[in-house]
Amino acid sequence: MRQAGTYSGIVSGGISGKTGPHLLPLARIKKIMKRSGEEVKMISGESPIVFSKACELFIKELTQRSWMVTIKGKTRTLSKEDVASAVMATDLFDFLVNLVSDSGGTHL
Amino acid sequence: MSDNIGINLDREGLEYNFAAPAGGVASGEDGIIKEQDQLLPIANVGRIMKQILPPNAKISKEAKETMQECVSEFISFVTGEASDKCHKEKRKTVNGDDICCALATLGFDNFADHLKRYLHRYREQEGERGSLNRAAGNHEEKEETSNYGSAAVQSTPLKSNGVERRVSALARPF
Repeated sequence: MRQAGTYSGIVSGGISGKTGPHLLPLARIKKIMKRSGEEVKMISGESPIVFSKACELFIKELTQRSWMVTIKGKTRTLSKEDVASAVMATDLFDFLVNLVSDSGGTHL
Repeated sequence: MSDNIGINLDREGLEYNFAAPAGGVASGEDGIIKEQDQLLPIANVGRIMKQILPPNAKISKEAKETMQECVSEFISFVTGEASDKCHKEKRKTVNGDDICCALATLGFDNFADHLKRYLHRYREQEGERGSLNRAAGNHEEKEETSNYGSAAVQSTPLKSNGVERRVSALARPF
């Protein structure tokens, strides 16, 4: 498993070096933000920090919903299909529908 | 020579990962290759997933990869909305408030509330640090900023316990 990104991400991700280590690399978040559109030019220093937290909340929410699907099947391994099911079942995650069905999807 | 004969690797855009190490490049069957620098690291993502699951839970590697892609899509989606708002208001810089508003607009109301408090605390801390640095030269503050790199590396192997304490001080668990 690639672990190198964990350290290099946090060390290099110190846009504002004052808030201490985050769970997610700030520089990487910033890169993804910039890729989202042509008009995204300037990003304040606090934005990746806010996103770091937002992504954490998002991951936890989607994971929790996926797990609800997993345990119905009486297994203890959260699979990609469980994530896809959780996305399909949640209106809030409509923006992910194409993403999960493209990568998954001969299950429907 | 054309590649029409036999192997259609380039044409289809599929099966591209003949050289990809496991977990190196997450390629979907639709031929889109997601480069690792457009995804958050799988180790970090996996760690956050584990936090919310019971101890006996297992997560397949594909599930983590899917989650990586979903998070990147989430960031793009919300940033797009935040950036649209800035554009309409003729501002050039996307800031934390824009992200909170975008989250609320897109239906992530509970995230937005949580993050507004988080952002408020962060700004307060930044303000405090600023005034402490201006005051009698607080050694702790200086150490934190100047040794940021090493401090971060040291605390990370401790499974982010420091982060957890700080984070839970800022906001209730989700």
